[in-house]
Amino acid sequence: MNPLSDPLSVVFILSSLMSVVAAILIVHHKSIVYSAFFLSVLGVGNAILFTLLGFPIIALFHLSVYVGAAVTFILFSVVMLKEAPVVEPPVKALAVIAAGVLALIMMKIFSVFTAEPSFLLNYRDLTALLVTKYWFALIVAAIALVTTLIEAITLARREGV
Amino acid sequence: MEASWYLFVSSILFAIGIYGLLTRRNMIRMLLSAEIIFNAALLAFLSLASLDAGYGPVGGAIVVIAISLSAAEVGVIVSIAIMMFRMRRALDVYELKKFRG
Repeated sequence: MNPLSDPLSVVFILSSLMSVVAAILIVHHKSIVYSAFFLSVLGVGNAILFTLLGFPIIALFHLSVYVGAAVTFILFSVVMLKEAPVVEPPVKALAVIAAGVLALIMMKIFSVFTAEPSFLLNYRDLTALLVTKYWFALIVAAIALVTTLIEAITLARREGV
Repeated sequence: MEASWYLFVSSILFAIGIYGLLTRRNMIRMLLSAEIIFNAALLAFLSLASLDAGYGPVGGAIVVIAISLSAAEVGVIVSIAIMMFRMRRALDVYELKKFRG
């Protein structure tokens, strides 16, 4: 069967390409501001893949919390910093080989999972699970976020550093 | 689409993130590479969770918590980077050695 005849396959191919190209640009773009921008493109591509897997609520959460807050925070912070020239370690060839071997090994391991995802996340199941089984992890996440907020305010108000 | 295709995309993203971490010394660029790895891990996690209806909501719940913690982690690292830039006018991670107490 031609994968291009199925609209969902076309969406999968386009969003995967978007994610991979965005990831390459994050690592290779000269400007760090554009790199941070491409992280948001990667987030959008991943959110589309999450929706295709049957997790539309997680995709919305990823868009609002990760792309909307975390990546935007990085982007605005990076604009304030002047990119100082850094001597990069001369291990590019070695890193390419290591990353390539790693990708091949992972693909070999993952090729076992040939089943098609046929699942749609129900938000009632998700929220019930969060407040019954994972309530402690939820509290820890909330405390971590509040601590980060306090730390950011403290650093912003600190003078003479 | 088979789940293996999603996992292949996740593997490629993971490899790109590892390459970025190995070849960069700029703190923000290393953070961005780590975020690529985080996105790859989320994709792999949800791909595997979607194969079983029983584990689907569990995977979703863990990913929600992971995304929240990632937002907190980004805040901490960017704050350290800003403080380091104020003190040293550099974002080179090798300079972090000088912050030892």
